[in-house]
Amino acid sequence: MNNRLVIREFVQNLLSQKGDRAAFADSEQLIARGRLQSVDTVEVVIFLEEKYGIDFAEIGFDQNQVESIDNIMALIDAYGERLAMT
Amino acid sequence: MKIVPQLDTYPWLVSFGQTALGKAALIGAFAGGLLAIRLDSWMEMTGAVALVAYFPARRRLLVSAAALYWLFFHSTWLDRTFLRTIAKAEGQRTDWTLTLLVSGILATVFCLLALFFHYVRARRVSLAAKRPVLCLVTGYAAVLAAAGALPLGGMARLLAWSVIAVTAPYLWYFAYALKDASAKTPDGAILQFGTLRPFWGGTGVPYAKGAANLRRIETRNSKDLCITQLKAIKLLIWVFILQVALGALRVFVYGERFLGVPVLAAALHHAAVPVHVAWASLIAHFAEAMLGITVSGNIIIACCRMAGFYALRNTYRPLESRTVAEFWNRYYYYFKELLVDFFFFPVFTRYFKKYRRLRVFAATMAAATVGNMVYHFLRDYQDVTAMGLWRALAGFQVYAFYTTVLGLGIGISQWRSHGRERSGGDAQWWRRALATAGVLSFFCLLAIFDQEGRSYGLGLYLRFFLRLFLIPV
Repeated sequence: MNNRLVIREFVQNLLSQKGDRAAFADSEQLIARGRLQSVDTVEVVIFLEEKYGIDFAEIGFDQNQVESIDNIMALIDAYGERLAMT
Repeated sequence: MKIVPQLDTYPWLVSFGQTALGKAALIGAFAGGLLAIRLDSWMEMTGAVALVAYFPARRRLLVSAAALYWLFFHSTWLDRTFLRTIAKAEGQRTDWTLTLLVSGILATVFCLLALFFHYVRARRVSLAAKRPVLCLVTGYAAVLAAAGALPLGGMARLLAWSVIAVTAPYLWYFAYALKDASAKTPDGAILQFGTLRPFWGGTGVPYAKGAANLRRIETRNSKDLCITQLKAIKLLIWVFILQVALGALRVFVYGERFLGVPVLAAALHHAAVPVHVAWASLIAHFAEAMLGITVSGNIIIACCRMAGFYALRNTYRPLESRTVAEFWNRYYYYFKELLVDFFFFPVFTRYFKKYRRLRVFAATMAAATVGNMVYHFLRDYQDVTAMGLWRALAGFQVYAFYTTVLGLGIGISQWRSHGRERSGGDAQWWRRALATAGVLSFFCLLAIFDQEGRSYGLGLYLRFFLRLFLIPV
């Protein structure tokens, strides 16, 4: 399964735990629209740390980074490039 | 059945609201709403939102222009009485020269922020560039501590307190601007200015947060704008209903002709108040606080939405909360977001990474307890002036107790709900009602200690708490 699908499934699961089973686009801003709360952001951060080894203490954290599937993908790509350069 | 009609879901209204006549009607309805809720600056506010909403290409620039206008004509956040008192006490002039001095300091503070912003933008390798908000808040706290502890006099004292009085109301707005400086494509200085005390209002807490959030929530087409404006009008109708409820509560509960219940501040000081009256006083205080924050927050968010930004509500159905953590999220959203952004995540992403529950708990305490205390202590600089640094710190004991219990409450709530299904929709109605009652009782009792005054010790509030349960003191 590619990264986008893995993330989508994770976020979908997070939303359905809250009883939110509505569809969402990859570009949908889930925090700004109130579908994800900061407590959910915590889950996303832990998931990204464990699955992709992202160290937020190093790169700094902003909720915008995990606002949508597209943003999460951009974060994973940027972190991968950063690691490759070092 | 909904009390307020779901205007934003009527297709014909959404279509009509996008026509020239419909736009005029929406602005008219909004102006009527502001008048109904008795907003003093209703006319200027209507003009500002109309300009900002209907010139989308220049929207953010117009937000900055409106912020400048509000700074000149409605800057109630600058405590002029405080500055005049200090000037008088130090034998300085209190006429136009004081205004000039304060304006000069304000301009200097803005320039320093702009320089700091560009420094962070340049991505220099230094603590100040990596942790700008930490440096900003520490710097402000150091100036406040020095002004409160050092034996300053004359012009030096006036200057020190003027810098503090000018910076304090902007502190967390600056923090959001500096946070945005680290983003990939932040807004420039002019657009950032619009987010420093935006015209739709705010307290020390930035409603709608900073520029980064405004970019996310700005409406992109006329349909979205119309729906967001209809939501704004709905919110104003809701504010009107809540204002009536708040007025009725005050008259019926506190009025001498009706129940004549003393306000909490009075009940706290009178040991002779019967227990049932003390309970009534506390419950009324809690209800009043909840209605008050909902009304004031919704007015700000309604104005923000009308201008074309889909901001989330500050208070959203707190009575539906089933956990302490959920109530905290629903009751004062933008304050919670401030604490999450500047206290929770910095701790969460750095410490106890191997211990998941401890990690969340520590970050929660950092936000709800430490951050909450830091926010209020830095905001209430007038107490440091009046009492001196050490007495102001000692007088903070009641609020410190409040934030500690709050932090523990939220932390334990999160600890307990870890891994559980969070919808709770399948639970039986009485279980849901019981959970909500428990949450409301916790916050109602905690409201005893949610006192921002510094004049009385913790003992007074603890005695009142014990009296409620007939425990002799």
